[in-house]
Amino acid sequence: MSEAYLLSRKRLPDWIKSLAEIYTVLGPVPLRRGQTVFEPIASADLLNPNYCSTMLSPRLFIYPGCQKLFTVNRSTGQYVTADPRTQRPQLIFAIHPCDMHAISVLDRTFLAKYEDYYYRKRRDDTVTIVLNCNKACDSGFCDSMGTGPFLRLKQGFDVALTAREKDFIAEPASENGERLIGGRDFFERATAADLGEKEEIEQRAKRSFTKHLDTDGLPQLLMRHLDHTVYRRTADSRCLGCTNCTMVCPTCYCYNVQDRTGYDLMTTTRQRYWDSCQELHFAQVHGGNFRSSREARMRQFVTHKLATWVEQYGCFGCIGCGRCMTWCPTGIDLTEMAKEIQRDAAEK
Amino acid sequence: MPPKNENQNPLEPQTAIIEQHVEETDDIFSLYVRPQINDFNFRPGQFAMIGLPGYGEAPFSFSVIDPRSRMLVQTIRKAGTVVDALSALHSGGQVSFRGPFGNGWPLEKLDGKNVIVIAGGIGMAPLRPVIHHLIENRSRFGEIYLFYGVKTIEDLLFSDDLEKWSASIHVLLSADEVRQNCRLPVRQGLVTVLFDQLLEPLSDAVTFTCGPQIMMKFAAAHLILQGQAATDIYVSLERRMKCGIAQCGHCQIGAKYVCMDGPVFCLPDIQRFADTFL
Repeated sequence: MSEAYLLSRKRLPDWIKSLAEIYTVLGPVPLRRGQTVFEPIASADLLNPNYCSTMLSPRLFIYPGCQKLFTVNRSTGQYVTADPRTQRPQLIFAIHPCDMHAISVLDRTFLAKYEDYYYRKRRDDTVTIVLNCNKACDSGFCDSMGTGPFLRLKQGFDVALTAREKDFIAEPASENGERLIGGRDFFERATAADLGEKEEIEQRAKRSFTKHLDTDGLPQLLMRHLDHTVYRRTADSRCLGCTNCTMVCPTCYCYNVQDRTGYDLMTTTRQRYWDSCQELHFAQVHGGNFRSSREARMRQFVTHKLATWVEQYGCFGCIGCGRCMTWCPTGIDLTEMAKEIQRDAAEK
Repeated sequence: MPPKNENQNPLEPQTAIIEQHVEETDDIFSLYVRPQINDFNFRPGQFAMIGLPGYGEAPFSFSVIDPRSRMLVQTIRKAGTVVDALSALHSGGQVSFRGPFGNGWPLEKLDGKNVIVIAGGIGMAPLRPVIHHLIENRSRFGEIYLFYGVKTIEDLLFSDDLEKWSASIHVLLSADEVRQNCRLPVRQGLVTVLFDQLLEPLSDAVTFTCGPQIMMKFAAAHLILQGQAATDIYVSLERRMKCGIAQCGHCQIGAKYVCMDGPVFCLPDIQRFADTFL
């Protein structure tokens, strides 16, 4: 749609500095034990644009792990809605394409027939600058899921960056994005040759993947084999039920609601926090539990991400970031389960 | 991003006033509730999230919908923290109220058909407004059967209504245990023992059922064996819910949200997923 620009690596600190004047800039910062974490940054000194993947995706800035909904005055019955916004508008810098896709996946849940008041406010108040990945990360398979290594979204974000040796190609995708670039003298116009090189980098990045998943007909296949033994075998021998997979998954949206009343018994605060289908209580109803076995909970995770999500929202619930397997204490890999079902179906 | 929808905050409840508290059986009571909302638009089979600040919310369907007096009746079994708190409330009390949610019974599918209604225990509650609709518009339907199964005779809900209804529709009752006499004829056994009373060919019938999932499973299997099309069977499901608006994820069955796509489902449309027990 619009022009592309170039930002030399030397001027990146200037840009970050000017952005930090308006926004709380959240960028990937290398912290203890080699883990990169998104944190507020005031300058580019700490920034690690070559990061691979973070444990928690930036979804938590838009959909926090624990969020206040409202307070009720118990004597007057008066409700006061919590303001979900942060003090200053936030800008997520160098979010990877898979994580940007994940936010667009969350949009389909929270900005649907019913619109979540809290999510909408945070989403509108957050600027996103995407950094394309020049090579595959350790357990990523975003190329197979259509969410990377270069951003394939056309809207819903503000700027897309592509790193080159000496500079970044910056492509604004919204009015806001144009504003972040326009009028700043450290940006130059990119040429057709620059964009041609971007293509090449993308092709190189695509070739660097070692992990793949064939998604053709996968939802239908999984739904035909709900009783496949792989779920039971994996669940019973390896799943600890720790819920790490769902806590780190950037598209997981389930929440639980909790009321907390102050010690003076005058005010009740209702809050929500991330919940997990891998917890036993999740499918509890009076007199029973619809997913009382670990096998059923494992199947719920795999078939939701790779099958039923497509019917619900028109896209996969898995964006191929590889977090669930990276942070699983026993390394359970949902693509391995899907592949086993594919192999068995092919042999029959 | 989808365009902005100027609705208010769907998670923030309104207040509703309790007009009456009626003990129906040992462990079931009804709350007559008047929600303070302008748009009184509730359909049989839909539900509302009702609760108390400090205790939380839970979904409850309507056993009476009365647009004239703008009153709803929730018939509730005593189970869980929220219900414990609600059961202590009496007329004049206030509850938090969000709704209506869900699709409701597809009443339009009943026109010109024989109708089979199968209720189990507290599952009678969301079917009561269906019976009201059927009786008010009696001439639009063929034969109408209500099969209603309970554990013991003391668990029968709305017995005055049952007696009245039997003047215009077939009311057939069963109880797992029949130890004493009852004003109404009750057969001993599960609800399926009553199915020998079906007179009409089942191919022209539509079934609505609500009750324990194991009951719905066997009742549906029974009817299908007797010739009814599975696509003419509608089940109302129960799941725990936190939001009612297809976001908290608790009520999901496969690709469906019980709160938004349901709670009423055409049987084959929900049976295809895992963990339905249908």
